[in-house]
Amino acid sequence: MKKVFALALTLAMVLSLAACGGNNDTADDTSGTEEGTGTTISLWSFNIGGFTDAASWDSLIAAFNEQYPDITVEVNPINYQDGDSILTSAISSGTAPDIIFEGPERIVGNYAREGLMVDLSDLWTASGSDIPESISSVSQLDGTYYLYPLSVAAHCMAINYEVFEAAGALQYIDEETRTWTTDDFVAAMEAIRDAAAAGTVSVATPGIIYCGAQGGDQGTRALVNNLYSDYYVNEDGTSYNINSANNVQALTLLQSMVNDESLSANASFQASDELQQFANGTSAVTFCWNYSNYTQYADQTQFTPFAMAFPSDDGVPELEMAGPYGFGVFDNGDQAKIDAAKTFIDFICNDQTAGVEAVKTTGFFPAHADWGDVYEGDADADLRAPFALMSNYLGRYYNLTGGWTEQRALWWPMLAEIMTTGADPQTAADNFVEQANANIG
Amino acid sequence: MAQNAAAATAERKPKRAKRPSHTSGMSRALVRRETISAYLFLLPSLFFFVAFVVVPMVICVVYSFLDYGLGGVQGFAGLDNYARMLTDPIFHAGLRNTVLIVVVAVPTVTAFSLWVGSAIYQMHPFPRSFFRCVFYLPVVTGSVAITVVWKWILNPYNGILNQVTDNVGFDWLGTQSTAIWFIILILFTTSIGQPIVLYVAALGNVDTSIVEAAQVDGATKLQIFWRIKWPAIMPTTLYVLVITTINSFQCFALIQLLTRGGPLNSTMTIMYQIYDTAYTRQDFGYANAMGVVLAIIIAIFSAIQFKVAKTDQ
Repeated sequence: MKKVFALALTLAMVLSLAACGGNNDTADDTSGTEEGTGTTISLWSFNIGGFTDAASWDSLIAAFNEQYPDITVEVNPINYQDGDSILTSAISSGTAPDIIFEGPERIVGNYAREGLMVDLSDLWTASGSDIPESISSVSQLDGTYYLYPLSVAAHCMAINYEVFEAAGALQYIDEETRTWTTDDFVAAMEAIRDAAAAGTVSVATPGIIYCGAQGGDQGTRALVNNLYSDYYVNEDGTSYNINSANNVQALTLLQSMVNDESLSANASFQASDELQQFANGTSAVTFCWNYSNYTQYADQTQFTPFAMAFPSDDGVPELEMAGPYGFGVFDNGDQAKIDAAKTFIDFICNDQTAGVEAVKTTGFFPAHADWGDVYEGDADADLRAPFALMSNYLGRYYNLTGGWTEQRALWWPMLAEIMTTGADPQTAADNFVEQANANIG
Repeated sequence: MAQNAAAATAERKPKRAKRPSHTSGMSRALVRRETISAYLFLLPSLFFFVAFVVVPMVICVVYSFLDYGLGGVQGFAGLDNYARMLTDPIFHAGLRNTVLIVVVAVPTVTAFSLWVGSAIYQMHPFPRSFFRCVFYLPVVTGSVAITVVWKWILNPYNGILNQVTDNVGFDWLGTQSTAIWFIILILFTTSIGQPIVLYVAALGNVDTSIVEAAQVDGATKLQIFWRIKWPAIMPTTLYVLVITTINSFQCFALIQLLTRGGPLNSTMTIMYQIYDTAYTRQDFGYANAMGVVLAIIIAIFSAIQFKVAKTDQ
């Protein structure tokens, strides 16, 4: 009897841990709506630029409450390390936030596709006429808008300027346009490797291909796609494209660079680890850079982090869009909250005073074309100029392709297989495409 | 004469003794009151046990038969989620690694804890407390803090291990052949604290008069350990085995913070795959099915341990 009881207890303990998820019925929840005292809405904000610090919302919310005192906004900061898990947990247990601050990849590509988001077309109709088509096209799914954008930028890479200078590698970059060719990139990495071996520079490795998790995977995607000017997804979005001749050539080149130690590959690193090594001066380049990361690591860097576009064979890069960062509203079944959420979004994104402050907090550039250069005359305008330049190189946005969430879990293991085990790039890429396409819908 | 015969019969066939009862001598009302009191005392923990253990357990089993994703329940999946496990190479890797961790970690943790416990339980109070404290420190420190320290130690470029071994650049956690062994090593360091403390206590409770009698009779140290101490500490050993087995099966934080199942699933465990499937891939039905299978596997392992240890006897 004791044995049976002990086994039953064991079974119970394990199963209780495994019982993930819960009821996600969107039952009418009016707990935040108190008659006569206004509406309380929750805002879950990813750590985008200055919004890493939740207090950055305080002044914006205070300004909002001057106009709308009956709406209370409660901010809950989340980050890219575990934000997906927290959101998934909340959604599956029926406690999703009212507003989420993020980009189209999650808001449109994931949550709207699952039918969890509110139609924001009315906001677009009222105030979205000056938002460029490149942004509006990625804010919608099947003609319905689910994201209202605030700011936008481009993901890029960066180099340690002083190390490049000491290694004689500055000759391989165009400092004015911040571009370089694939051949220049290879030559620069080899120059740094040789300079490190000779003791001229003190980096441990020229650069690190991180493939330990999906965090910051836009960097390694962009690196591979740019080297021989190809795309991650085919033009009509019906197939992932990493097994194309050009992309496989890029993977093969990177594999050979790892083999000759002009690059390293770390299967235990994700982007944050690689960024830390760059900030430490351990590596000479990072493949995961934008203004947000620049501000985050500014205090730690004892050198000049020089933003660069990804190298491409023709010297014409196509960068991944960072964002457009904006807002989506979860359909929690409470119309009062939905209306309050839209009011808040309208204020933050369309009121030019609040909007400019919010855009500057992200460190990116406004989605509203009519707002012009919001940083003009600012003391740090020069620091932002390189990132504004990168916006000229924005390429096709493919992050809304079907099966995007699933393919992200396949990308970094494929990269690790090629870079750390010597696997055949064509075979590994074919396997990736086969598995990724299975979920493309 | 007849009396003598009756007495002799009574001696030969002793009357079956009346089963002692804790209620003997109590009135029915008193028994009822005590029973009600006992249930009332049990009620709070029973409530939490049912709410947070039994109900999630039932929900887990129910979900395992559903096609359940982020958008809600898509339909009844029957045994599809279970059938998927048969052809899922990641699940196979997770099962293989989980069993490896258990098979290596459980005996080494138990043996090392017993060895350390045996070495320190007879020491003077101060050194005994010191060693208990040292070995217990990783338990109270918390796995996250320990993991961060190990991450520093094993950093390919700045880590002390590579600096000392002049092996800068080698990625211990990013190499398939080494990653799982470091996971086991770190799990080992975080698992030995509690068993050592338990063994020190258990060994201290062994009846010294029996040990001294055996010494007088000329028993060797090995004989004393094997014939006297080992049986006496068997309940502790069983507890250590079961708890270490369950902890090893449920190894999650180390994997999440250090390798996320990589490289190439070489440190994937069933527990981590359950999390990854639920929260990264948002496939709750399949995750719950794996949870059910993991529970069954642990139950089988535990049953074997109970059987081998024969504690009921």
